[in-house]
Amino acid sequence: MARKWSRYPKKAFYAFVGPWVIGFVLLTALPMVFGLLVSLTNFDGSSPRFKWVGLDNYVELFTDGEAWMALLRTLLFTAIVVPLTIGGSLGLAMIINRRLRALGLWRTLFFLPSVVPVVAMAIMWKLVFNRDSGILNAILGVVGIQPIAWLLDPTAFYALVILMLWGLGAGMIIMLAALQGVPAELEEAATIDGAGRWSVFRHVTVPMISPILFFQVITGVIAALQVFIQPLLLTSSAGISKVSGVPDSNNLYMVQVYKEFFLSNRFGYGSAMLWIFFLIILGLTLLFLRSSQSWVYYEVDTEAEKEGATR
Amino acid sequence: MTTTERETPAGLAPEAKHIRKAEKVRKDKRPPAILYILILLLSVFFIGPFLWLILAALKTPAEWASFPIQVLPDKAQWNNFVDAVTQMDFLAYTANSLFLATTYSVLITISSATVGFGFARLRAPGKKALFLVLLSTMMIPQILTLLPTYVLFSQIGLVNTYWPWILWGLAASPYMVFLFRQFFSSLPRELEDAAIMDGAGWLRIFVQIFLPLSRPVLITSFLLSFTWTWGDYIGPALLLDTDHTTLAVAITAWYQDPNGNTIPTVQAAAAVLYILPVLSIFFFAQRYFVRSTVSSGVKG
Repeated sequence: MARKWSRYPKKAFYAFVGPWVIGFVLLTALPMVFGLLVSLTNFDGSSPRFKWVGLDNYVELFTDGEAWMALLRTLLFTAIVVPLTIGGSLGLAMIINRRLRALGLWRTLFFLPSVVPVVAMAIMWKLVFNRDSGILNAILGVVGIQPIAWLLDPTAFYALVILMLWGLGAGMIIMLAALQGVPAELEEAATIDGAGRWSVFRHVTVPMISPILFFQVITGVIAALQVFIQPLLLTSSAGISKVSGVPDSNNLYMVQVYKEFFLSNRFGYGSAMLWIFFLIILGLTLLFLRSSQSWVYYEVDTEAEKEGATR
Repeated sequence: MTTTERETPAGLAPEAKHIRKAEKVRKDKRPPAILYILILLLSVFFIGPFLWLILAALKTPAEWASFPIQVLPDKAQWNNFVDAVTQMDFLAYTANSLFLATTYSVLITISSATVGFGFARLRAPGKKALFLVLLSTMMIPQILTLLPTYVLFSQIGLVNTYWPWILWGLAASPYMVFLFRQFFSSLPRELEDAAIMDGAGWLRIFVQIFLPLSRPVLITSFLLSFTWTWGDYIGPALLLDTDHTTLAVAITAWYQDPNGNTIPTVQAAAAVLYILPVLSIFFFAQRYFVRSTVSSGVKG
């Protein structure tokens, strides 16, 4: 044992992981603690004459109708986007997993949008959603649907959801890897036992990929809750100073935070909103993790599985 | 694209028969024609916006605004691209983006490889706990820390400089660390044994033996960080002013007519130029994106 440890001088380990530890303390932990301090003040972003206001910001937040609305809207958005994303990427993966002609081409086409920078994505979709010159209304017009002002209330919400779904491709690639990790013998055996397609999928495939589904749900929820650049850029007048131009139906929680910071110059209040949001996200994540035992199926040796799958 | 095609049996490949035998029943039958119709419709959804963007970039403003819509321009308006490059200092912003993305990606790749090596091959008390912290920081939404970071940085004068990106780069990214750790853990122990016998230090073992072996991960990390920084909007929008900002922010802010309305055709042309580097990286290095996407999703 002693020899083993001399092989690994402690100093070496700390030196190697040092950059991350220092970075974590200075660039993640410190800003968050700083944010906590700011949330106890009425700091406006520039004037040095701010006051400590204790928990006033938090108390106010509790009765802030707009913030509550934004939070509920964000939860609704998440409840819509996450299942659609997971289901959609699983569906795409199941299509791509068939023996298709020109398979590589389709996979590339579906995957491509997920690497497009958000700014370009927004510019593109604004051209598609344009009420008078957009291709979407032109196509809908062919079947007799009147032009829709996609980027305004209340349809802006749907436009945002469509924009989010456009990036399904990354999820598809993950699901594809998951599907290809399901041993063919298992599905085969179930089929021989007389299981139909649906029950093979429901009782063999889904349990086998449930760890990955679970992970996708968690990261998907965290990602959807904090969406705000997309609504910010998907306005008829884009620009960082135009946060006021975000239509009400896309006023997600982070958009509201942003407004408090840069429209109202309420840095203290905005920081309080951020901290509450952090706690909400943390709580949701822990809730999901606790629920995982009941519906996630792990093969015998979880550790070994993980090592193998990620290689 | 060609390399990834080989990973799964593509229908037309001559070797498909063997693979079919080897895989036995896997998805037995050829898919029905209706599936191809579905695939075509999906392709329209995923590729349509690109085409519409390119068409808009080739129209005159009048053609773009015409109602009912005009799908194809009468004559391709290449001068939209000229306008896109000349109406603002496109080259300067491109240089900013390039500098920022390259610097950050080089730094983050080196630092993440170092930290990942530490977690994979070295031991000391507290390693397990630290790794858990690392994994949970991947769950902290970046945007939650960005606003306080902005406030903090503006207090200490780091706004309108590229220092934030250098600091972030030096600090390693949990996700890349994870990628490197997975890779370095998979290498055999014999690799370092001989070097230890010879009395080499861990730094030398890392730099001379492990780093050269990790080329695919190095490339993945660099390309991913590069496209991410090239595409980032909120970082430069918050931390950089008009002179220092990147292409991503600039193309949303410029290209306005005297009334302050955005000229969609010129902005479309600028957007095409802006995504070209990302798309070419993607087409030439798709397998790196596939690999990193897969490992980011399967770690649960």
